[in-house]
Amino acid sequence: MSEVIVITSGKGGVGKTTTTANIGAGLAQAGNKVVVIDADIGLRNLDVVLGLENRIVYDIVDVVNKVCRLKQGLIRDKRYEGLYLLPAAQTKDKTAVTPGEMFELCNDLKEHFDYVIIDCPAGIEQGFQNAIAGAQKAIVVTTPEISAVRDADRIIGLLEAKGLHNPMLIINRIRQDMVKRGDMMNIDDMIDILAIDLLGVVPDDESIVISTNKGEPVISDDNSFAGKAFSNISKRILGEEVPLLDLDVDESMLSKLRKLIFGK
Amino acid sequence: MNDKLVSFKGNNEGIYVHIKEGDFKVIKNQLELKLRKIGNFFKGSNVINFKGKQLTIQEKDELKTLIEEEYGIAICEVEDNKISIDDSNENIVKNDLFQGIDEGQTKFIRSTIRSGQCIEYDGNLVIIGDVNPGGQLIASGNIIVMGSLRGFAHAGKDGKRNAIVVAYNLQPTQLRIGDIIARKPDDEDCKFEMSKWPEIARIEQDVVMIEPYLPKK
Repeated sequence: MSEVIVITSGKGGVGKTTTTANIGAGLAQAGNKVVVIDADIGLRNLDVVLGLENRIVYDIVDVVNKVCRLKQGLIRDKRYEGLYLLPAAQTKDKTAVTPGEMFELCNDLKEHFDYVIIDCPAGIEQGFQNAIAGAQKAIVVTTPEISAVRDADRIIGLLEAKGLHNPMLIINRIRQDMVKRGDMMNIDDMIDILAIDLLGVVPDDESIVISTNKGEPVISDDNSFAGKAFSNISKRILGEEVPLLDLDVDESMLSKLRKLIFGK
Repeated sequence: MNDKLVSFKGNNEGIYVHIKEGDFKVIKNQLELKLRKIGNFFKGSNVINFKGKQLTIQEKDELKTLIEEEYGIAICEVEDNKISIDDSNENIVKNDLFQGIDEGQTKFIRSTIRSGQCIEYDGNLVIIGDVNPGGQLIASGNIIVMGSLRGFAHAGKDGKRNAIVVAYNLQPTQLRIGDIIARKPDDEDCKFEMSKWPEIARIEQDVVMIEPYLPKK
């Protein structure tokens, strides 16, 4: 049973690409065959975050236009067995692919992979429509800022209108110390507004910047709390039948986080 | 699939043409065919209006000339106030404006109204769920939110100042009742305490008043 999951947010810069790279790596680490698709045509990033930029020969537009075979367009990751990237084109724009073509592409990929993960571009225009066309599930990424939450809310509405019900929420870049002081929205406030299930919380972490610049998913860094958070999120995606475990994992992660903050 | 986009229906005021959603050319063709077949039957009678599919003024004029000039059926247009496509509403006389503030047509919506979504209704509106910032509710009657109202609400949009807005948690970004507009205070310091009980907004002496409606708890 393969799944097509789109990772979206509406607002830019909240961590869609980082989330996509890390969830992809996490799922591949657990022994799944995973393909991550960069749907951000014209502004491709996912290849850089994964450190695969110099291996690109063909891209998604070539695959859709049948310039090359699907297999030729896929780039095998250098670290994770079973992780593949379908990069975006950099010289075209969002109109180079239609939602119908994207739907077909996802269906083709579904036959070869356990998970197809789509990195959605910011905005709600054609890039977004393309990215969600073939998806069966959606993950909405937001940060604890009013503007990001507002956009996430709009996106959830649009997803529901397109038949993607019950998207899951990832809250990225939370700073527990600021939440404690009341300077940052807390998790409950955000869930209260967005009214969807929480998949995970990722703390604000310097190691993300470091690993992104190095082109390595942070999930491979055992000392990073953000990496652990992404690892837990991947586990939750895999083990959806055990909802009780989710809370436990979440709780222990947060308590570890708290310890880190107060230990310093 | 395109068959019978056009049909003639009658109510106690006369005859109207009911048009289903479809290509305008097909609609025009079908209307012409239909008129040719049964045109004489309606001769001399009054067609009141078009219903169903929303027509542009141009399209309407085109159909009007077709009916009037070629088949001698007079059209006396009754101002339609946003007729819904829903057939079930057909027997309700359309041109009487929504009267109810104490009672009347009501729409129930069981979902969260999110940013960018807009619900407009000629009647009372009941939302079973939250209304998030950026969401809009517009009703000619009252608005009741069985949850948090954090978006925009306009009750009594036709100028009814006796309309009310009620919510379990009333925190709209902007609130309008009739022609009166109220908004959240800008001052961050006087941040209102999150009310612990449901509240009602109504107009008193040209000002929107917000108060709890349950006896002191």
